[in-house]
Amino acid sequence: MADSKSVLFKIRRQGSPHTSPHWEEFSLAWHPGMNVISSLMEIARNPVTRDGKPTTPITYDANCLEEVCGSCAMLINGTARMACSALIDKLEQPVRLEPLSKFPIVRDLAVDRSVLFENLKRAKAWVPIDGTYDLGSGPRMTMEEQEAAYPLSRCISCCCCMEVCPQFNEDTGFVGAATISQVRLFNTHPTGSALKRERLAALMGDGGIQECGYAQNCVEICPKDIPLTRSISEVGGAVMKQAIGDLFRK
Amino acid sequence: MRAGQGHSFLLRRLHSLSGIIPVGAFLFEHILISNATATGGPAAYARQVRFLGGLPFVTVLELFGIWLPILFHSLYGFYIWWRGESNVTDYPWTGNWMYSAQRWTGIIAFAYIVWHTWTMRFSGIDLHLFPGAAFGKVQAEVFHTGLFLFYVAGLIAASWHFAYGIWLFCAKWGIITGQKAQKRLLVLCLAFFFVMTGAGLASLTAFRSRPQQPTARIRSALKAVLTPPKT
Ligand code: SF4
Ligand code: SF4
Ligand code: FES
Repeated sequence: MADSKSVLFKIRRQGSPHTSPHWEEFSLAWHPGMNVISSLMEIARNPVTRDGKPTTPITYDANCLEEVCGSCAMLINGTARMACSALIDKLEQPVRLEPLSKFPIVRDLAVDRSVLFENLKRAKAWVPIDGTYDLGSGPRMTMEEQEAAYPLSRCISCCCCMEVCPQFNEDTGFVGAATISQVRLFNTHPTGSALKRERLAALMGDGGIQECGYAQNCVEICPKDIPLTRSISEVGGAVMKQAIGDLFRK
Repeated sequence: MRAGQGHSFLLRRLHSLSGIIPVGAFLFEHILISNATATGGPAAYARQVRFLGGLPFVTVLELFGIWLPILFHSLYGFYIWWRGESNVTDYPWTGNWMYSAQRWTGIIAFAYIVWHTWTMRFSGIDLHLFPGAAFGKVQAEVFHTGLFLFYVAGLIAASWHFAYGIWLFCAKWGIITGQKAQKRLLVLCLAFFFVMTGAGLASLTAFRSRPQQPTARIRSALKAVLTPPKT
């Protein structure tokens, strides 16, 4: 190891949700093209710390290894990002790995992000097509509509936008940018818009869209470059229109 | 999120609205209209103060148009601040800085407003009764360097808070949604901030560049009138 380059890692570890965390250091031989997930795989193959102490493999979530499944989000050198697309050559060393800070820890770098799934359910972020008979083909979408919808459909549910949001925490119960953006996606979908009113009403609840302080961190961090602040503004306007309309009609 | 439940939506939107109307509208009037008359000298300033003090139901207007809305906007604002978690050290992006700046300018403006309302409205000579003493009463404060700096800090904080607040309002309420349009609006709001600060500084300079008006004499005269003669 002395002659070839090595890569240093500092990893925050925690055995279970209730034990206290500690740090472990690892040193790997450098080779071209390595990323954070491939490094974690190497450690799993030979789980020995930097000073030669045997340890357990590190627990983390990952699946696609090409930034489309959204499972590998973690704090890398203090910033929320996808581990599979984080190239070691572009990172400062030692590479510091921590679990996302705003979600319950399962073990080591794996966290429970089901809050996003729950919020998507609460906001009915789907196209309702269940029924007892064949509904036939759906209405056509214009090219323009498709182009506006496509970027929104790229969300990989990684939760980075929620991790970096100053308003996202247990106190506010804020829903987060991803769900708001999905509401925009399904509200602009010709069939999905059947649930439009219900989705907007859901976002008026405690922890709804009003909690956004427009710090715009979400749009900066989103690995899929989703125009999140635009979604927040568009949905904010729609929510407002519905709220004012309800004042007179409900 | 508690889908569709609770009242925070209403409160939060009222908070946002109250910052524009009436609080922002009042600030606009206060800096760009009323205080700007100070540049025309003590007499012009006294006329404006007499006009405002002579508005029908002036105390009701002050209470519901200024004091209570500012109090609501501030206190609910502190509550919002307390629940959020600023993270500019980890994510030092412009929008995130502005998020923090909106909170700090808010508290500076609040401290200034409380002090300013106390000294101008509730202590010393009552300017509703003696509008002629207004120019001198302000002068007595702005000739003091420390207080002058407090005035400038309050002015900059309130102007920024309002100017960026307009931008936030338009973004959150879905009035300006596109990226380019939001950029353009930001430039406008920035310009507005400079106009407000500039006008405020011009008024402050007007107070400082004229000789101290005789409030002391008015005050002792007033005392003589108001103190019941000893028997
Ligand atoms: S909006 Fe972006 S940051 Fe948020 S969950 Fe989706 S992909 Fe991740
Ligand atoms: S704009 Fe800021 S406050 Fe709003 S969701 Fe995005 S990060 Fe959170
Ligand atoms: S492993 Fe799927 S996004 Fe990283």
